[in-house]
Amino acid sequence: MFKVNNLKFKYKNNKEDVIKGISFEIKEGEIFGFLGPSGAGKSTTQKIIIKILEDYQGEIKYKDKDLKEYNNDFYEEIGVSFEMPIHFSKMTAMENINFFLKLYKNNEDVESLMKRVGLWEDRDKLVGEFSKGMKIRLNLVRALLNKPKMLFLDEPTNGLDPTNAMILKDMIREFKNQGGTVFITSHIMADIDQLCDRVAFIVNGEIKEIDSPRNLKIRYGKRVVLVEYKEDGKTLSKEFPLEQIGKNQEFIHIVQEKEIETIHSGETTLEDIFIKVTGVKLDNENL
Amino acid sequence: MKTSRIWLLIKGELYRLHKYNVLFISILIAIIWGVVLYFVDSVLFNALLPFLILIDATMMSVMYIGSVMFFEKKESTLSSVLVTPVTNQEIILSKIIANTIHNLISTSLIIIAFIFIKQVKINYPLMLIAIILITAVFTGLGLLLSYYQKDFTSMLTNLMILGFALLLPSALYGFNVLKGNAWEYILLLNPVEAASKVIAGGFKGISLDWHYYFSLFYLLIGGLLTYKYLILPKFKDYAVSISGV
Repeated sequence: MFKVNNLKFKYKNNKEDVIKGISFEIKEGEIFGFLGPSGAGKSTTQKIIIKILEDYQGEIKYKDKDLKEYNNDFYEEIGVSFEMPIHFSKMTAMENINFFLKLYKNNEDVESLMKRVGLWEDRDKLVGEFSKGMKIRLNLVRALLNKPKMLFLDEPTNGLDPTNAMILKDMIREFKNQGGTVFITSHIMADIDQLCDRVAFIVNGEIKEIDSPRNLKIRYGKRVVLVEYKEDGKTLSKEFPLEQIGKNQEFIHIVQEKEIETIHSGETTLEDIFIKVTGVKLDNENL
Repeated sequence: MKTSRIWLLIKGELYRLHKYNVLFISILIAIIWGVVLYFVDSVLFNALLPFLILIDATMMSVMYIGSVMFFEKKESTLSSVLVTPVTNQEIILSKIIANTIHNLISTSLIIIAFIFIKQVKINYPLMLIAIILITAVFTGLGLLLSYYQKDFTSMLTNLMILGFALLLPSALYGFNVLKGNAWEYILLLNPVEAASKVIAGGFKGISLDWHYYFSLFYLLIGGLLTYKYLILPKFKDYAVSISGV
């Protein structure tokens, strides 16, 4: 759907490029994620591919046509959910939604969307009286109200409690299952791991790795079995590689001879892999 | 540019002017002006009415559009508008037209009241043209000014400084501090002075000399050029700078 080739971008007041020649593809019908710490270039990349920032170098193709050749009708096909609330606070939720709804040719059923995010009962409240979580949920309604083919979500669950985060994630999956394409930027590993078909690790404006979370775990992760057992009144633990575990004599010995307290397989998390690949923590600390 | 879409944007702008109490404040100010004018004698009244119309159409227009822009900046709503099919031109024009309609309401209130109370003689078509043109031009200048201000307070401060700087030469000329025919021409390049000449033409009994026509076309052409070469092209940079997308 989107093909980005050797994309570079520099803000007017900066000396250095903030995006340093990145290339990636967002395939139709997939959820593609950008995982990286703050300042990595995630939001800048999103601003470029939603045509807010224009003076970039490199090539971006949307449906095999140069992005620069699209006029504002491009926005009929996409929905954007911003990280921060973007509503008129002295207007009600429905007044906000109705204002934007009329600017598009295609209109989604607002009532069902509002009910889905749990805001229908509060539709006539001023947005200024909403909690941050409610405003973020209203952002998603705003992004979906033109029946977009592609969704851009910037830190979609940031500031949401686990229940509402789950509702939003379910809605994103439903959107994908109905044929939609999604681009997510996030620094929250769990969002990317649970939602994305493919993920790009981005640090300092460079993509360090792109693949599915599963493939990344297979390639970079260590698959182990961790055993905690008692010996001489003390609790000891030992890690064994999952490969050929049935032939590992030490493992078999412990399992047969010792009092086992816990035993479980351990997969490396996406965050661990991110750190391993990039040398940077998601909370921006260098290792 | 789609007429139906720009009309939707104008309606949205007018509705927000109402919801954010800007319309209420402007009508309240118009009423206060009216009360003040009602109690002054006829000599002072004749001098003050054109001045108040001038202030309403120039400085107040800048202030009202400034407040709208800073409400939007604070709430990041422009980011959301930027990702709709509306164009930058439609966004800007809707703001200028809505602010002009809004200002026309408050200025008309003052004028209509005094047509009945003090039998003011107005040339209605020329006064209408004057208010629409001046409000539109100064709304555009207000938009441009707001691009470069951090917040509403700094905009108000700079507006006061700018207003003083623009009114001072005319005042000095009026008090004969600035002397010579050359000043008569130089001062017409000041948009506030040009606006005062155009407003004066809206009162009956004022002869429409070359000052009037020069000022009218100066504001019209100057406004269009400012829109094309400054307000429109700088808007995208401004919108991007305030969108924390």
